[in-house]
Amino acid sequence: MHEASLVRSLLRQVGELLVEHGGESIVTIRVEMGPLSGVERPLVEIAFAEQVDSTPCRGAELKVEEVPLSAICRECGNEFDIERFRFVCPACESTRVRVISGEEFRLLDIEIRQPQTESVSREQP
Amino acid sequence: MNAATKTIPVNRDVKAELRRQAEELRQQFARHGTLVINVLSSPGAGKTALLEATAKHWAGQRKMAVLVGDLATDRDAQRLAPHCPVEQLTTGGACHLEIPLVKQGLEKLGSDDFDFLFIENVGNLVCPASHDLAEHLRVVLLSVTEGDDKPGKYPKMFRTSQTMVISKLDLLPHVPFSVDAAIEDARLIQPELTTISVCSLNGDGIADWCDYLDECRQSLLSPLWTTDPHSTAQ
Ligand SMILES: Nc1nc2c(ncn2[C@@H]2O[C@H](COP(=O)(O)OP(=O)(O)OP(=O)(O)O)[C@@H](O)[C@H]2O)c(=O)[nH]1
Ligand SMILES: [Mg+2]
Ligand SMILES: [Zn+2]
Repeated sequence: MHEASLVRSLLRQVGELLVEHGGESIVTIRVEMGPLSGVERPLVEIAFAEQVDSTPCRGAELKVEEVPLSAICRECGNEFDIERFRFVCPACESTRVRVISGEEFRLLDIEIRQPQTESVSREQP
Repeated sequence: MNAATKTIPVNRDVKAELRRQAEELRQQFARHGTLVINVLSSPGAGKTALLEATAKHWAGQRKMAVLVGDLATDRDAQRLAPHCPVEQLTTGGACHLEIPLVKQGLEKLGSDDFDFLFIENVGNLVCPASHDLAEHLRVVLLSVTEGDDKPGKYPKMFRTSQTMVISKLDLLPHVPFSVDAAIEDARLIQPELTTISVCSLNGDGIADWCDYLDECRQSLLSPLWTTDPHSTAQ
């Protein structure tokens, strides 16, 4: 199970972002995964629960967005969801397809809590 | 959103930094003329046996080295040591190799003057599929005793491989395994898959395998080689 090491890396990256943006703590961490991401959602959630409180992301909530495996056909431009890992365009039967979602484990965004004293004046974009 | 919080967009692959390192190393190997091959399979499918047979076939006519991932022992490294330079990467229980371990292994190997560098991954058809080890070629072994339905059951592994080696061909008479069915199943997932069948014990198919590797190295060395072989998935 490599989810533990990927979650460790995720938490380290989020910790760095927290420092970079001068936040006080992390409220939520939003990630994306799909059928070919190579991670199992329950295993990611378990690894997250086990690790989060021993990192600077302590108390953060993990939000998982599941996306379908989808592709664009290089022959006819058709955009479609791949069912049962059959990498064939349903419109023209070409196998020259490019996957556009569902094969990565992505960090989408994080919500950080800002220090109280600065939050009022700094809130304007 | 609460006034005291703000959302910071990130939108990157969790492995982005490791992938960048892998890409850098891959280019470096290409410049040195070393074809890097990541060899993957379930436990016991015959990765080490294939590498032993490869080294014996070339018998010093090609410079090859092996980095071998092992959870705990150095048994595979000991088997390969009589045939070629080999370094063991002990994963300490981890089920897959990652690029920092590969870099450590390269330092221990010392020389970087190889035609072929094989990385024998930990036996596992799941986790190693997600980790780019700077290889130019990803080879998955499927032994005939595992069943011809396996490609569809481990889609990421077969999707991210360029080559499937069907191993233990000598056992074909004893097991219900159709080479054609296995290839057909794998090509639904990875239409561009090259397939080779071998028996590492009696040497059947090993010459074809070695010729194929030579061809891959030739195309690597051609100035046209610029694309990332993993652009399809990872
Ligand atoms: N009959 C037959 N047996 C083979 C062949 N190749 C390997 N074996 C046997 O299969 C067993 C496993 O082979 P290994 O080369 O150790 O397999 P591996 O994939 O390196 O195994 P791990 O590194 O432990 O995952 C050994 O007993 C080999 O002798 C083959 O072509 N035919
Ligand atoms: Mg082995
Ligand atoms: Zn099409």
